[in-house]
Amino acid sequence: MKFKFKCLAMVVALTLIAAACGGDDEVEPTATTAAPAITSAPATTAAPQEEPMDEEEPMDDEEPMDDEEPMDDEMDVMIATDIGVDLDAGVITVGMLSDLTGPFGGLVGLVVAGVNAYWADVNEGGGIHGLQVELVYRDTVYSVDNHVQFYEELKDEVVVFGHSTGSPHTVAIREDLEADGILAIPLTWYSGWSDPALNANLLSHGTPYCLEAMNMVSYLHDVLVAQGVDSPTMAVASFPGDYGLDSTEGAKLGAAALGMDVVYDGSGTLIPGQDNAPIGNAIAQSGADIVWVTANAATFTEVYGAAISQGFEALWSGAAPTWSPALVAPDSPIKDAVARDFYGSIYFSPIIENNPGTEFLRELMGKYAPEVPLIDYVVEGFVEAMILHEALNVAYENGDLTQGGVLAAAKSIENIDFRGLAPSESYVGGPNERLQRQIWITRPDPDALAAGTSPTGIRVIERAFTHQIAADYVFEEACYKLS
Amino acid sequence: MPTVTKKVALAFFLVLAALAPIASSIPFYPDFLGHNDWMKLLSHVSIFGIGALGINLLTGVAGQVSLGHAFFMGLGAYVAVVFGAPPGDLWGLGLPMWIWLPLAGIIPAIVGLLVGPAAVRVRGLYLAFATLGLVFIGEWAWRNLKFVTGGAFSGRKFPKFQWRVWKEEEPVVDFASDGEWLGFEITEEAKIYLLMLGFLVVATVVAKNLQRTRTGRAFQAIRDRDIAAEVMGVDEFRYKLTAFGISSAFAGVAGALFASFVGRQIPETWDLFLSVEFIAIILIGGAGTVSGALMGTAFVIILPRLVQDFTEWLSGVIESGEGTLATVADVVVAISADDGGLINTIPGVGPGLSVFQLNQVLFGLLIILFMIFEPLGLYGIWVRVRNYWKGWPFTY
Amino acid sequence: MTAEVMSGVILGQAEHSQLAGAVVSGLSLGTIYALLAMGFVIIFKATQVVNFAHGALATVGAFITAGVAVELNFPGRFLDVHPLFGWSISVMTALVLSALMGIILERIFLRPMVGEDLFSVAIVTLGMNVILMTIVTDYIGPDPRSMADPWGDAVADLGFVIIAHTEIAQFIVAVALVLLVAAFFRSRTGIAMRATAFDQEAARAQGIKVGAIFAIAWAIGAVLATVGGIFGSVYPRRVGVYSDTALLVFRAFPAIILGGLDSVVGAVIGGLSVGVAEALAGSYLNHPWFGTGFSGIVPYLLMVGVLFIRPYGIFGTEEIRRV
Repeated sequence: MKFKFKCLAMVVALTLIAAACGGDDEVEPTATTAAPAITSAPATTAAPQEEPMDEEEPMDDEEPMDDEEPMDDEMDVMIATDIGVDLDAGVITVGMLSDLTGPFGGLVGLVVAGVNAYWADVNEGGGIHGLQVELVYRDTVYSVDNHVQFYEELKDEVVVFGHSTGSPHTVAIREDLEADGILAIPLTWYSGWSDPALNANLLSHGTPYCLEAMNMVSYLHDVLVAQGVDSPTMAVASFPGDYGLDSTEGAKLGAAALGMDVVYDGSGTLIPGQDNAPIGNAIAQSGADIVWVTANAATFTEVYGAAISQGFEALWSGAAPTWSPALVAPDSPIKDAVARDFYGSIYFSPIIENNPGTEFLRELMGKYAPEVPLIDYVVEGFVEAMILHEALNVAYENGDLTQGGVLAAAKSIENIDFRGLAPSESYVGGPNERLQRQIWITRPDPDALAAGTSPTGIRVIERAFTHQIAADYVFEEACYKLS
Repeated sequence: MPTVTKKVALAFFLVLAALAPIASSIPFYPDFLGHNDWMKLLSHVSIFGIGALGINLLTGVAGQVSLGHAFFMGLGAYVAVVFGAPPGDLWGLGLPMWIWLPLAGIIPAIVGLLVGPAAVRVRGLYLAFATLGLVFIGEWAWRNLKFVTGGAFSGRKFPKFQWRVWKEEEPVVDFASDGEWLGFEITEEAKIYLLMLGFLVVATVVAKNLQRTRTGRAFQAIRDRDIAAEVMGVDEFRYKLTAFGISSAFAGVAGALFASFVGRQIPETWDLFLSVEFIAIILIGGAGTVSGALMGTAFVIILPRLVQDFTEWLSGVIESGEGTLATVADVVVAISADDGGLINTIPGVGPGLSVFQLNQVLFGLLIILFMIFEPLGLYGIWVRVRNYWKGWPFTY
Repeated sequence: MTAEVMSGVILGQAEHSQLAGAVVSGLSLGTIYALLAMGFVIIFKATQVVNFAHGALATVGAFITAGVAVELNFPGRFLDVHPLFGWSISVMTALVLSALMGIILERIFLRPMVGEDLFSVAIVTLGMNVILMTIVTDYIGPDPRSMADPWGDAVADLGFVIIAHTEIAQFIVAVALVLLVAAFFRSRTGIAMRATAFDQEAARAQGIKVGAIFAIAWAIGAVLATVGGIFGSVYPRRVGVYSDTALLVFRAFPAIILGGLDSVVGAVIGGLSVGVAEALAGSYLNHPWFGTGFSGIVPYLLMVGVLFIRPYGIFGTEEIRRV
């Protein structure tokens, strides 16, 4: 028994040591972010290097710290509230259903970094008419069960959900959102969000996977035709689920509109964790000129590696989350091949662009989260936060900061301008007027990555691009239907 | 037979559990238990309790190690959805709950009986691996049976908890909406909790009684010495088959309830980790005992929530308080990027483990510690505590 | 990468046989499975531990390799040698560290469990797996850690088939390791290990230091797992180690069972045959009838099939049941 206790001590000690040093002395490629997660301090506790933590912080901030003006507002306007807004404490609580440690944890971590920096800035500048915005995060680990459970936990604490990660997950809470009259911003680019039957309580944004693929394969088709390739052919492969299938549906719609042959259709055949090399081999066998892959970077490498090791060459492209700067990192064995073959796309302006939005973003990130690499998903964080900011502002001006009030306010927004970070959004009008169709087209740039001038490892070749095929597309229902 | 004390204690506990939805109107009853999120958590415990009783019969009582529990849960869920979901794009017959729920037990039981013969041939660890294969083969099936499951990473909606006689519009008893029962305002979550608690009680009675029947004794005989059991006239083939059948029926019902409770499931839910979770539940609770299985379930399901609340509380202490506790807490919890700490409450990647990761580590650590120090699990601890008080003030 | 490296590539696949391609890619997958299976079987044979944490050993091992070769840049920061030689030293260093990790894990988590029943011990390794994977995932983060191997994406064209240099290296290393393990079992320590596997108490009575044998078995197991993890994380499979490298071991389980839990020869043959079967299924069984991802379950179907015929694997020892 004595021996066993010695073991216990060792077990505990070792685990603690290992856990404590977990990732702190290395350069983490993703976000380390501003606001405390589950803690209940306002998001301004953020800026660690700005001010010493211990002193003024949380207590002071809860009062509207910015002088007279906001106070006036509060005097003048009677604000209706129910859940998640405390006018006495001056706090608006926002729920965040994020996948922080699951399969999309790396990506969502960057989004969260952007969200936190944005709100840290807003709060520092006085918040929403003197109300501080506080974000409450729950890590769903990309599980529908957790998502539903955390929704249940937060719906009695928050006025609105700042994001909801994952399409099946968001669909799972959709009916509850409608029954409870709460608004959520989906963090997925599923084409179904444009469907009025689905989006009553959602604020979708950005170009859906379907139109992204349509744009991209049409663009690549034109590139090849300009090079003198007549009737280029296409191969597609993707993950199953809305992400993969919505995307490959779009690619196939584009191909059909252009009269392009699909010589290999591997929609839904890439299974994360399995051996995906045979699909790469099949793509090589098909001899396609354009390959569209919707996956993640790890799975993309398996397919791409298998295909190019057979001497196969084509134009490769994939939905935005397929790209990772790791593909062209200095140590990557395939960086030259990828630089030769790959075309990337993204739903918003990359950070290396120069426009008022990206300058604003770089400034804020430099101020509140300098350790976070400026990889483009940070933009999504800003876009989301700007949408929410507008919704809360309108709700305040309407004098109704209830859950229902925020929902109604959001659905009346006619135009949000993102200062060039993304195409402007509107939440009135029919699906076809509101559907986003623009993408930014990029090429890999290993040298810029190595030099540190482009943390995402890309350079931009087309801005806010819409191919005629995508422009002519008429939305009737989701490209891939989630039953 | 249980003693009078035991019966009274059990009845008292049950009444307490059933009163949780109206916690706020009962003095001395912890209020938070009646909140919707805790109702959901406790429903989760009740559902997984049913599943745990199933794996306990097979692995704990009959000694047949199975990693295939997740497969049978998935099967039950998909049987339920085919019979219970309204017709539409995907298969669905729209039949009432009194049909789909029993079928969600019966069909997995039949499949379990089909798997059984293999289990008689394949023994011990080889059986564990064979059932592990079942989970992977199941994942492939769920992924491809799109008209039943909705497809990988897409999933589908599951039928709601509504009692209908046949397909009429208005359910006789609607558990899926708020309403008034016996003069109390009862929310949807509380109603579902009461229903799940009811199912758990039924399942517990079945499992407990089964262990005391000829069948239950035969299971134990096979677990302890299979050849000796056979020599004594226990038909090994028949009882192993029975064990697989019954366990799969419990798993199927649990799967169906769980899927309907969450409302939507993707096929990835029924993966190996779910099976492992159940094995962990019965080991932490104490394999082979009904009360152990239930204690283990409550422990494993509620622990993550407690850890979350605890770290939240610690962060609060650091921010607002001073003194020793805040200093100690500051060492443990990181609340900003440049603050060192074991647990990281900053979303995104930061120093230390996230709350979810901490839960994972605790989960692993608990399994190990229980195996090393208390092979009888929570049940063993409970027995020792009970015996201590029984014999008090004499230590033995 | 330069034109020289690519010079082996002849565009136009018509002359390359699809069958040969599938077999080579299957053998390459199979050697990874075989390496993982061998380590697993050695641990099981010598210590009676079913190691569910084998995937974690492979991932942590590959991660250590990345750490030594890239982050520490050892020995590159001290010596300027041929990349292959330099990398070999990095890998050797990483293997020593992995072996140490194996020994420490055994000492802490499994030594207290000696004599407990097989299943309880297996569950302890499951717990170990959860802890190790959580921590290593936290370290790795979302982006892969490169192995920085000297072969890059170079390939060789053998006429009928194109093969990556990494795969050639992998075949050579795997054969060498199998021979080493065979030689080890003929050495004095190896014989002691076989004796321990046969009967722990009798071995102890003969003066064999059973504890030391356990440590050696775990060291060998961890080293083999690490080599498997490294080759699972290089071109053309991956560009570095991700946390899901651990899943490779779940795919190697059928190989272990196929060969028999306690047969090293079985592990090698099982690994290769499962790898080839999986690759052939991936290339040829793609009729819609099979659905998506069928190749992934081929190993399990094979395993279940074999268990029906031989419930203790092809080369496994039949358990003698006594009352």
